[in-house]
Amino acid sequence: MRLLLVEDEEKLARLVKRALVAERFSVDTARDGRAGMELASQYDYDLLVLDLQLPEMSGSEILRRVRRLNPNVPVIILTARDAVVDKVSHFEAGADDYLTKPFAMAELIVRVKSLLRRGTARREGILRTGDIELDRLTQQVRRNGKRIDLSAKEHALLEYLMANSDRVLSRSMILEHVWDQGFDGATNIVDVYVRHLREKIGDNDQKLIRTTRGVGYSIMGKDAE
Amino acid sequence: MNTRSIRFRLTVWYAALLTALLVLFGGFIYFTLDRFLESSLREALSKEAATIGEALLKKINQTGDAYVKDEIEEHFAPRITSHFLRVTRADGSILYQSGPPQNGAFDPSRIPAARLGEPDSWREERLPDGKRVLIYGMTYSDSTTTRYGIQAGAPHDQVGGVLRSFLLSLAAAFPLIVGASIGGGYLLMRKALRPLDEIASKAEKITSRNLNERMPEVQTGDELEKLATSLNRMMARLDESFQHVHRFSADASHEIRTPLAILRGELEAALNTSTLTPELRETLGSALEETERLSRIVEQLLEMTRLEAGEALVELRLFDVSEMTRSTVEQMHLLAFEKRIELGFDGSQPLLVKGDPIRLKQIVVNLVDNAIKYTPPGGSIRVSSIRSGESAVLEVRDSGTGIPQEALPHIFERFYRVDKARSRQLGGTGLGLAIVKSICVAFGGTVTAQSNRSGTTLRVELPLEPTL
Repeated sequence: MRLLLVEDEEKLARLVKRALVAERFSVDTARDGRAGMELASQYDYDLLVLDLQLPEMSGSEILRRVRRLNPNVPVIILTARDAVVDKVSHFEAGADDYLTKPFAMAELIVRVKSLLRRGTARREGILRTGDIELDRLTQQVRRNGKRIDLSAKEHALLEYLMANSDRVLSRSMILEHVWDQGFDGATNIVDVYVRHLREKIGDNDQKLIRTTRGVGYSIMGKDAE
Repeated sequence: MNTRSIRFRLTVWYAALLTALLVLFGGFIYFTLDRFLESSLREALSKEAATIGEALLKKINQTGDAYVKDEIEEHFAPRITSHFLRVTRADGSILYQSGPPQNGAFDPSRIPAARLGEPDSWREERLPDGKRVLIYGMTYSDSTTTRYGIQAGAPHDQVGGVLRSFLLSLAAAFPLIVGASIGGGYLLMRKALRPLDEIASKAEKITSRNLNERMPEVQTGDELEKLATSLNRMMARLDESFQHVHRFSADASHEIRTPLAILRGELEAALNTSTLTPELRETLGSALEETERLSRIVEQLLEMTRLEAGEALVELRLFDVSEMTRSTVEQMHLLAFEKRIELGFDGSQPLLVKGDPIRLKQIVVNLVDNAIKYTPPGGSIRVSSIRSGESAVLEVRDSGTGIPQEALPHIFERFYRVDKARSRQLGGTGLGLAIVKSICVAFGGTVTAQSNRSGTTLRVELPLEPTL
């Protein structure tokens, strides 16, 4: 998979590139809008990560031009501006996703992967992590075959963690996914729910759901236990 | 009709002034006309008397009595003009006396006889039937010694009649004139003030979202044009400062967020290194947590800037704030449960509010979260939504330790912390209540706090959407 990253902040570009390369993507980077546009028109990338405020040519302009050449390539916008109007107008201009700086690298990776997967949406009916089994259709959770009763939110939280197992999910990602924007950053509701979830699934030693300090939570897949 | 509108008041004043002027003017005309009519009647009568003397009596010896009588009848036609004419000889016998006038205004025989030798004089005779006749009496002496008394008169009514019909037509015309000018004035005023209505209704529609729009240009060259121009200039200045705030918030967020993103990325990358000692891992984790808090502070500050710039008004929707509160409280139940706090909600009546549901939800989240933080375990929090007049009222009442009275006025200020050590330890940004206030203000509401030793109540009032 070949990705194009257009970001003028050198350090940030390096970090993003490193994180993407670690996920086995090959990444081309461009430091300004014109160079980015040139690369985008020369190669057939699988996905574009665009900063908005770029020298030479703005990210929105690149987005517009790329859409004319290739309406299907997924585009993630990185921006330091998050006014609602901006958000709406960029989705209208054809961005597939939108991340506001500062973002967790894990969040970018999850979104990149979900966009690349989107074409062949494969949603398993049953998720398995270690000895936990979650049936998306019947909304049932079992550990070692023993049924565990979860509330709707706990279920959604576990499902989100399991669907992205082995990946650290930030609190804001979890909030956005399981709750809604009204809770943005204000409360420790995620921590409280994780605590409860751990209790219910019998993970009191935190081996299954792990905390990564300052980042968020992850559920351990294959190498758990 | 709005009795305090300029249009109404101006019309009333103008009608009152016009009425007063018309009364004054009518009175003036009446008295002038009275004097004019009387003096011209007197002039006519004295001329008639003099003419009889000079033109007829002078030659009476040549022409004879009968001729003089005929001439008077023919010339002055007193029967038709309702004048009274009488010529008396020196011996008191009557040479000529006009007959009763056609309209029966008076009876000539009842008019007292002339007194010869008296100087020419005016008298007003009141006849026994109450009628008043104005009489001019003179003595004519020709070249011989023969003297005649000449009387010329007319009923005083002749003047009064004209005056009466003048008054009548004045009385008839008066309401017409006043009515027409009130109506006309009102219409004119409406026409003249219509641009004002247009300006007002336009100004009503201007919010921070459409500051680039302008008032309708009225090219009347009058005060209204000046008003429209001034308003437009004011809006241009407002527009500019809003743009300025907007640009600043965009620039500031870019300048602050990019380094934060790098900082966060570097720390995350460092944490991913497997060779870290536990102490270093702890340190980096702590740094990451603080980076996140810093991001939240920046986020919330910018959010407030945007709210104050009116950007919140982009996504207005009509929704039931009571239901939103209920579901939010339910979602936060576990947070309270963890601290063994009883969290409940009262309110069944739907309360329709126009606003951005996500932002208004933030109000509930922040208030309830705050209440949970400052209520000791075992306490209780009641959230209620009720209707009060034209407002939707949300109240969050806790059984916490309360807020000191001297701190109450400040709790909605940015970065104000009642208990500095404790609130920072709880991981807050110091902006929770300030955000609540900004959101309330942005949607036309208010937030107030009351507190005593047994707890604190925060009360949010939002304007209800008028139900149809």
